[in-house]
Amino acid sequence: MTSAPFIPIQSYLVVSVLLFAIGLVGVFTRRNAIAVLLGIELMLNAANINFVAFWRYSGGAQMEGQVFTVVIITVAAAEAAIALAIILNVYRRFRTVNVDQINLMKG
Amino acid sequence: MTAALGQYLQSGSFWYVLAFVCCAAGALIPGLLVVTSRNILHSALWLLPCLASVAGLFLLLGAELLAAIQILVYCGGIVVLVLFAVMLTHGLGHADVRVVNQQLLWGFIGAAGLAGIVLHMLSRQMWPVGSSLAPGDVTGRLAEALLSPYVLAFEVSSIVLLVAMVGAIVIARAEPE
Repeated sequence: MTSAPFIPIQSYLVVSVLLFAIGLVGVFTRRNAIAVLLGIELMLNAANINFVAFWRYSGGAQMEGQVFTVVIITVAAAEAAIALAIILNVYRRFRTVNVDQINLMKG
Repeated sequence: MTAALGQYLQSGSFWYVLAFVCCAAGALIPGLLVVTSRNILHSALWLLPCLASVAGLFLLLGAELLAAIQILVYCGGIVVLVLFAVMLTHGLGHADVRVVNQQLLWGFIGAAGLAGIVLHMLSRQMWPVGSSLAPGDVTGRLAEALLSPYVLAFEVSSIVLLVAMVGAIVIARAEPE
């Protein structure tokens, strides 16, 4: 795809902003720890859309945007594995994964 | 009129816009269902079309390798991992009585406020629109960038993955009784 892009970059940025806000709602409002993790994944994807869009619309000669995205996807995979392992452990100990019932450290 | 429409269809622009609208809707509507489904299993399953549509957006932007990575890592790896965790912690289709916490209103206000501020800034800013893509093989140039100037980040991220894998096994292992 070497032709000029047909739509302004704002269309991608608006999709990215809305996806980020949706993820933020998930992180803020859900009780289940796994649902909070899903919200974080949505926010990471929104950031990735931004990186790739700016890479594309700056001409695509500099590859930093894609390199950033590769690193973010790697870290997101590691983060999901660790977070789900922690959630499994929490479930084994407290018999719940609701974040508002796990308040052992609340004074 | 008809000729102009025909030329518009010929130019490829119409199909690009149509594909973009499909991918954007395919990312946002399932994304909304991810955070609003009462059943956590449905949330995890709605993540699948959402992430696949983000891969479609990558394709439209001309990042073929990233679209493939997105499908492999997210749709193939992370969603399956999340489904495993859901089934190990909840049992199948076990819907909670109350899925949202007491900060529902403030969560919505906060997220909508942030989106409003950023959209307002986007509408005021003029971005330089679209130079054409630099010639050459995008995937090849990404490989060269990863292995010559950014080789340190590449190797460090592979070590991060290794450590995270070992750590996840250690953390998730059942405690000896």
